[in-house]
Amino acid sequence: MVTVYHYVFLAAVLFIIGAYGMLSARNAVRVLMSIELMLNAANINLVAFSSYSGTVSGQALASFVIAVAAAEAGVGIAILLVLYRRMRSVNLREAVSMRW
Amino acid sequence: MVAEYSWLIPVFPLASFVLILLFGGRLREGGGHLAVAAVGASMLLSLAVISHVVRFGSYESRGISWFGSEAFRFGVLVDPLSAVMLFVVSFVGFLIVVYSLGYMHGDPGVQRYYAEISLFIASMLSLVIANNLVFMFISWELVGLCSYLLIGYWYRKPSAASAAKKAFLVTRVGDILFLAGILVVYREFGTLNLSEVFELAPGVATATLTLASLLLFGGAVGKSAQFPLHVWLPDAMEGPTTVSALIHAATMVKAGVYLVARMYPLFTPESLHVVAWIGGITAFIAASMAVVMTDLKRVIAYSTVSHLGFMTLALGVGGYAAGIFHLLNHSFFKALLFLSAGAVLHAVHSQDIRDMSGLWRRMPVTGTAFFIGAWSLSGLPPWSGFWSKDEIMAAVHSYSTPLFWLTAVTALLSAVYIWRLFFIVFTGRESEQAKHAHEAPLVMRIPLIILSLGALFSGFVVFAGFGEFVQGALEHAPEAAEHASGSVMLLSILLAATGTGLAALTYYRPVISAARVRRALAPVHTLLVNRYYLDHLYYFFATRVVADSARALRGVDEFIVDGTVNGTGRAAVCSGRKLRLLQSGVVQDYASWVLAGAFLLLVIAGLIGGGV
Repeated sequence: MVTVYHYVFLAAVLFIIGAYGMLSARNAVRVLMSIELMLNAANINLVAFSSYSGTVSGQALASFVIAVAAAEAGVGIAILLVLYRRMRSVNLREAVSMRW
Repeated sequence: MVAEYSWLIPVFPLASFVLILLFGGRLREGGGHLAVAAVGASMLLSLAVISHVVRFGSYESRGISWFGSEAFRFGVLVDPLSAVMLFVVSFVGFLIVVYSLGYMHGDPGVQRYYAEISLFIASMLSLVIANNLVFMFISWELVGLCSYLLIGYWYRKPSAASAAKKAFLVTRVGDILFLAGILVVYREFGTLNLSEVFELAPGVATATLTLASLLLFGGAVGKSAQFPLHVWLPDAMEGPTTVSALIHAATMVKAGVYLVARMYPLFTPESLHVVAWIGGITAFIAASMAVVMTDLKRVIAYSTVSHLGFMTLALGVGGYAAGIFHLLNHSFFKALLFLSAGAVLHAVHSQDIRDMSGLWRRMPVTGTAFFIGAWSLSGLPPWSGFWSKDEIMAAVHSYSTPLFWLTAVTALLSAVYIWRLFFIVFTGRESEQAKHAHEAPLVMRIPLIILSLGALFSGFVVFAGFGEFVQGALEHAPEAAEHASGSVMLLSILLAATGTGLAALTYYRPVISAARVRRALAPVHTLLVNRYYLDHLYYFFATRVVADSARALRGVDEFIVDGTVNGTGRAAVCSGRKLRLLQSGVVQDYASWVLAGAFLLLVIAGLIGGGV
């Protein structure tokens, strides 16, 4: 029997994998992908709760998240392009001119 | 009405101070003639005001208020007491400024001298006519400043510079007490106007009055060089002799005595007891030291301290008129002695009496002037010193027996030290230095002659109702001290004659050997020459106690106070230096802080709420 706990567990695992990827990756593209993973982990939670509570508001919110995530990815990749043009690299460890 | 213009009295010398300061360099004698003219104008106006007071009684103006406060309403009060003082300051001051024209001739800093002496006379005159304690205090501090400046007139001489500092610091002790006294008076009376204070005084608790009057007396002790703050006056002789005569004999040192007389309604029997004993002790120790000193000016300085003690003593024992009377007479004979001593120094170029001998033949006018001064001071009849000293002794006689004998011994010593000085300096064989001596110029001789007349005849004002006149300054006058009874008068004459005789037998016809007496009384002599070790005591106190505790306190300041302040700053800088390392610029580092924060919030929410 698949309960809501299984979904929540799956979402948690995905979120942690995403968080780890976001914090550890050097490549900015990988970081963006990890953020997508975290957003979708949240989406799984929303859809699961929505389905188990018998309402649709969670699913509606999930659709919003998908739309916003698409826009965010667009903006993020645009920033990455500008960064690449300036630095000839997308390594986040090198983009540190704003420190101290 | 001439009294309405009495506020102008100090204005003339004040104007001359400003003018000499600005333009003195272009005038002859550094503006000395301007100073003479200004002080002369003050003197004439003072004489007019005094004659007004003699005929019509006291005058008080409403004055102008400062800061719009009634407590600071400064006006003029001329009553019999200030009239006497006004006379002394303006008259003797005028003569001494005239004498300065000769004495200071050719000194390179003479412009500064006349500027400072004008300022001194201006502030001394305003001290005398002030009707408000704060006004009085301001003038009091100004005369102290001028005293400092003029003692240190030859500031390149280290001894003069340090004597000036000593005078300033020692009198400062008294000034602080004076200021405290003013505060007590203001708190208790709610006014600083002298007449109002005197009116309210009978209704105030005795203990408060005693406190206030003793604090005010503290000011007098400093300014009038009373024991134990007398140490500055002998050193003050480093200044020009005219300054010694004017400030440190005739006027400023009288300010303390004047203050006691002025605030007399505030003095209770208890505080007067203290005043009397301080005066008596001062008179005695100063006279005893004067006997052994070998510096011409210092002997006269100790004599001044001793006579100031007499005046204080007189006021303390209730001889109000006697004290003021002695103040008047002393101004004449002491100024005279100083100015003739100045003429001697001018001629001999030394202050040590062992360098002087047989000066009479070369300087007859100066010698006569000194002779008259000495005669008057020693208390031999019939000149001025005799009359006032006699009244003082009569007043002391009816007050306390031990104090009377102390006074009697002092009177004997007075005659000894002043005649010793006269015989050593003017009689005997001519010394090497004396051979080149010459009489003082005319401009110095005339003041000497006028002062001699004063020293001779000022005593006779007592027969013209001087006592009653001065008592008029008091609302509730103490009973006029009875005129000297026959036996006291006889004793006083006898003591003065004995003293004179002893001095003559030792220094004129050497029947008694001074050296043998000195050897016989060696311990006493050592004690006196070392000035009762009081200067050593003060020096010890200043270097050990004050300087050491200051050093300890500096430690507290540097380590604790500064440590706290600097430590706060250093802590901020250090923590900033550490914290800025958080700003690594790496986006992922910031993200991990965000995540950690979110996690922390979650944990906290779980701990306290449970029901997220």
